[in-house]
Amino acid sequence: MTTDTIARRQPPVVTPADPAISADAAASTRPATPVRARADAWHHVRGVLLWLVRTVLIVVPVFLFSTFITFLLGAASGLNPAATLAGDSATPEMIAQLNAQYGLDKPIVLQYLDWIGGVVTGDLGTSWFNHTSVAELIGQRLAISASIAGFALIIGIVFGTLLGLVAAVNQGRFVDRAITAVASFMSTLPPFVVSIGLIVVLSVWLHLLPSAGYVPPQQDFWRWLSLITMPAIALSLDTVAEIARQLRTGLVATLQENYVTGAVVRGLSRRRVLFGHALRNGAGPAVAILGMKIPTLLGGAVVTETIFSMPGFGMLSADSALRGDVPVVQGTLVVAIVLVLFFNIVVNVVLGGLRPASRRVR
Amino acid sequence: MIDVLRAALRLPSAKIAVGILIVIAFLAIFGPLVAPFDPYAQNSKDLLQGPTLEHWLGTDDLGRDVFSRLLAGSTVSVLAAMQSVVVGLVLGALPGLLSVYLGRTFEWITLRIMDSFITLPFLVFAIAMTALLGNGLTQAMVAVGILIAPAFYRVTRAAALTVSHSQYVEAAQLFGATTAWVVRKHVWKKVFPAIAVTTASMTGASLVIVSSLTFLGIGIVPPEPTWGGLLATDLGNLYQRPFGPVVPALVIIGTVWALNALADALKDATTDAGAPPVSKQKRRELQAVPHGA
Repeated sequence: MTTDTIARRQPPVVTPADPAISADAAASTRPATPVRARADAWHHVRGVLLWLVRTVLIVVPVFLFSTFITFLLGAASGLNPAATLAGDSATPEMIAQLNAQYGLDKPIVLQYLDWIGGVVTGDLGTSWFNHTSVAELIGQRLAISASIAGFALIIGIVFGTLLGLVAAVNQGRFVDRAITAVASFMSTLPPFVVSIGLIVVLSVWLHLLPSAGYVPPQQDFWRWLSLITMPAIALSLDTVAEIARQLRTGLVATLQENYVTGAVVRGLSRRRVLFGHALRNGAGPAVAILGMKIPTLLGGAVVTETIFSMPGFGMLSADSALRGDVPVVQGTLVVAIVLVLFFNIVVNVVLGGLRPASRRVR
Repeated sequence: MIDVLRAALRLPSAKIAVGILIVIAFLAIFGPLVAPFDPYAQNSKDLLQGPTLEHWLGTDDLGRDVFSRLLAGSTVSVLAAMQSVVVGLVLGALPGLLSVYLGRTFEWITLRIMDSFITLPFLVFAIAMTALLGNGLTQAMVAVGILIAPAFYRVTRAAALTVSHSQYVEAAQLFGATTAWVVRKHVWKKVFPAIAVTTASMTGASLVIVSSLTFLGIGIVPPEPTWGGLLATDLGNLYQRPFGPVVPALVIIGTVWALNALADALKDATTDAGAPPVSKQKRRELQAVPHGA
């Protein structure tokens, strides 16, 4: 499930990013006359508008449908605030009264419209349990998940890029095959197995790192860092492997292109060819993967958070689901969906910026 | 089909993978029968023991024999993964094939539905759906099936698209071949290997999700033994039995690795089989084409 259809869909037709490149291309291919320039500018604006329309036409239905699935989960569960709060002792009158209070006596489509209207304005409803606003609950927990995910992302980018670069430069040699083998093994390791392994080695045997808990960084920075290290490593392995693999694939293809040979022939140093010329074009698949991974790292850390007793976003969702706190579950799912869609758009824009001007559809 | 399988099995990694999978299949079918102890029997005299001749993998915090629980848990762990793959296959491959033939409206709708499935956060959605809808194995399998359906949709659709735009299919249509005939005769040959590869890799993926769910006690509720559940018990007793998670973890990793290796071997075999022999240099160039770029 590494690439998906959203990522695979072609990047934007013409992007606003990187005016230097397009100006460059225009200058080299045709004489710059005022008329031409104006036509180019119009072309550019139209391309951006077209891309915007196309994105909206895809993102809006997808958002509505996936949130509708999310909403249906709650409706299909047959749970209601009264039963959740009072359990079996809830009287029919109590159930009816609370249902009316939460608007659960209306038809499902109306309920959905009410709810999605609130979501768009940032109102995710209130928890059935402690009547706290769902947005507030998620906000509190998101900081914890963001610490772990952010750290995991840094590990993923640094080591993934390093491994991918080394493998691509030594393509076909032992180092390359070793990295490829290690990467494919790393991506089969489930995070909970890695987490347990890390605890056994680093906490139980070596007593290096604490095995559970969370402290905010403002309170004790080093304690915070030592607490998030193991979950971050456990979460990052998959990202490291995936980035290394995609970067290798992209770079190997790019290094065979004629313009790279040309640069080598012109006597540019290997380093300059690799970092100045090849990396920019070879990074595409890796960037796409990165965009897919960020929401997974933020929202998918349920198991890791449970193992390390970190009350993050994923744990909030799992606990609420087990308690039957429907609004909180729906809220966490919506936030996760929005994150996925947001990073998809970001990836598309970045990919468009990375694409050589000559390959952009005009 | 046979020659593809034979070509796939020529690789040493594929042989090891098939060996592992045969052992796992044996465990899943006969595991509960050959278990030396009752997996639910508690024994307060032998708590948290190390491996002994009597208890090969020791005992857990309730004195239950870990080896017996591992064997007894195999059936449900493997079956759950396979059943969710079947759900994903039906939900994904069928619309994927039909999207090529049923016109643009159907195509657009299925594409958006699959996009929506992809935006669902993987584990969070599986947990939410399972827990909210009654915390049973069926709910978990449907949830996982929904999550892996887009993978099946994508490969089926891609394979069907390439065939239906190929010249020999156009030629067949010129001779009056019906769509049904083309699908049966030509499209199926391309779609089937693609689905086989995806089935292998998705079985591995859903095994990990199912293990994660059971690890959290969702879908299959303790004390019923599962691979994930065993690891959860071990996590609570790490300081007494630090070696405890090793064997259950190895079983999960080994199975997932074997499935992935098999998928890779099948992929190589299906792209090579039937094609004219290519030189090493040429093959390297072909492999260097970036995916999804």
